[in-house]
Amino acid sequence: MAKQYALNDDSVVVVIGSGAGGGTVANELAQKGIDVVCLEAGSRLTLADVENNPPVMDAKMGWHDKRIGAFLWVCKTVGGTTMRWSGVTPRLQKHEFQALSTYGQIDAGTSLIDWPIKLDELAPYYEKAEKKMGVSGTHGIPPSEETNNYKVFKAGAKLAGYKQVTSERMAINPVARDGRPGCQQLSFCHAGCAIGAKWSTLYTEIPKAELSGHFELRANAMAVRISHNKAGKVTGVVYRDNDGDLHEQKARAVCVAGNVVETARILLNSNSALFPQGLANSSGQVGRNYMRHTFGAALAVMPKPVNQHRGARQTGILYDEQIHDSSRGFAGGYQLQAIGGDPHTWSGTIGGWGREHTIFLDNYTSLAGLFITGEDPPEASNRISLHATERDDNGLPVPVIEYRNHANTDAMRDHAISASRRIYDSLGATHFWGGDAPVGCHNMGVARMSANPKDGVTNRWGQTHDISNLFISDGSVFSSSGAGNPTLTIVALAIRQADHIAERMNQKTL
Amino acid sequence: MDDSPVTRRRFILGAVLACSVIAEPRGWLPGNVAWADTPADPALIRLVRLLFPHAGLADGAYADVAHILFTSFASNPETGQLLDLAGSALDAQVDADWLDADEDSQISAIRNIEGEAFFAAILAGVRGTFYYHPKVWTHLNYPGSSKEHGGYKHRGFNDISWLPEVK
Repeated sequence: MAKQYALNDDSVVVVIGSGAGGGTVANELAQKGIDVVCLEAGSRLTLADVENNPPVMDAKMGWHDKRIGAFLWVCKTVGGTTMRWSGVTPRLQKHEFQALSTYGQIDAGTSLIDWPIKLDELAPYYEKAEKKMGVSGTHGIPPSEETNNYKVFKAGAKLAGYKQVTSERMAINPVARDGRPGCQQLSFCHAGCAIGAKWSTLYTEIPKAELSGHFELRANAMAVRISHNKAGKVTGVVYRDNDGDLHEQKARAVCVAGNVVETARILLNSNSALFPQGLANSSGQVGRNYMRHTFGAALAVMPKPVNQHRGARQTGILYDEQIHDSSRGFAGGYQLQAIGGDPHTWSGTIGGWGREHTIFLDNYTSLAGLFITGEDPPEASNRISLHATERDDNGLPVPVIEYRNHANTDAMRDHAISASRRIYDSLGATHFWGGDAPVGCHNMGVARMSANPKDGVTNRWGQTHDISNLFISDGSVFSSSGAGNPTLTIVALAIRQADHIAERMNQKTL
Repeated sequence: MDDSPVTRRRFILGAVLACSVIAEPRGWLPGNVAWADTPADPALIRLVRLLFPHAGLADGAYADVAHILFTSFASNPETGQLLDLAGSALDAQVDADWLDADEDSQISAIRNIEGEAFFAAILAGVRGTFYYHPKVWTHLNYPGSSKEHGGYKHRGFNDISWLPEVK
């Protein structure tokens, strides 16, 4: 059962964060008999706490600490943003691991590199991640059931000439599996799945880790600083509890999985005489190359009722445009994905006001919607940094999040919006809206893997180039963004990283 | 409150200065919530309707939203002052009482201030209040929470029947 470790027990691996990356690497280590203390800034909910009420759930599980700059829609709760995610789980494609080789450097502002690993190397871990998460359409799991919104998407896409449209690759149980029920089509995936059909580490990795007898979760524990010794090895993590008291958990190794912003912040905030630029930052790359995908959305009023609000929020991916074809006027590719929303979600997405806005909401039951997610190039100037003077309620420097869309991103979005319009026009849509959707739920980069230590922060294992017992276990390690939703790749990399850590420990080299 | 043009202009000048303070959390003085000084202020109700004009949605829904919004914003001097700013700015646009202007002029006045930070805050507040209001949901045929009904698994999540057959 769940263990408790002493603060001065320096044999444990401390994992910061309990979401897709942290929850997974923690459980994988615990299953191998490695003792883990997982620090989670948020509190631990149960399924009984999950209501079909987005504002209430945002108050319960959203990340609301002060941040300056671009908005991120992420969580502070046990399970992290796996509580809020849609569950869309495509793999990165072969060419996306070799972004620089495939696209060339786009311009002087971009900082594309190739991943230090290729698809072949990650493929076995994708398999493990898909089994772990119960990804529909893989490993004998049926495809996700086709919702009304998906059926409109698929029919329109086929009429528009597209071929590769599927309702597979959702980490939502189509049927009961792994102690969790099949999807009941509640439609409130983004407010937490009230029945646990959608994979979240809250009710999969975390309790499994606790059952291993090698794991302790400390909720309401905000990590503020990673400490190190004179030899430059990390030795523990200082965290703040609910009462505001500071503690230090000693550690043999530390894995950081704070969903990019918090990962960069704690590395930068752990600066010292030995590491004046922050931990693992001799390259100056910590916080840089922040990526969040080419995001966009499309909404159409269809000629007859759709009822897109019924059923899982997202079901369905179109892959045809996830290619590199420079004749389209941009590098990299994108996916279109069916997505539904409540009235407030769609109102906020299309923005604005007045009659041109309400024409969509007046036809709420006839709406059909799409989400655009595509590759955005890394730029050193898109970055997370620490505010020089402002402190938040934890006394931490407020993170400053700078992100601007590259021209490549804008061109890709325009192309995707035109494609979306063709899809809905083919079925006789009467009104169409397409535009940016700066949601900030796919966060990548800031501690990227690089073959050359000068180009990034971590090696092919997510181990920092500078500090051998400091690992990065979240989307921060992405060398480039690819087009699709990042969670499956985060989980696959976390499983692979746990194997590596265990191997190094067995070899007594960690 | 004195409604003379001079006072209004001075108030507008004050509003411009206050705007520059919005980015700073400190420095706010208690707001003078002079504009929407009753929960059912007709100007606020009118503003909500022009922002989200759903034909056939009864005035009561707009009054409810205006009341909730006012109560929420007026509870805090910072946000209370935003309502003051909007009211003053709208009046300034029509150089009279905005509520008395014709509809086209009222809409033009809103268009002319929509880039202001205080307007963005109010629009977000109205949007959040309006599109989560039960009367609005009923009007739009949006049923809200589904878990107590077992979701849509057996209630039409895949019942669309008008699409052409595709392979």
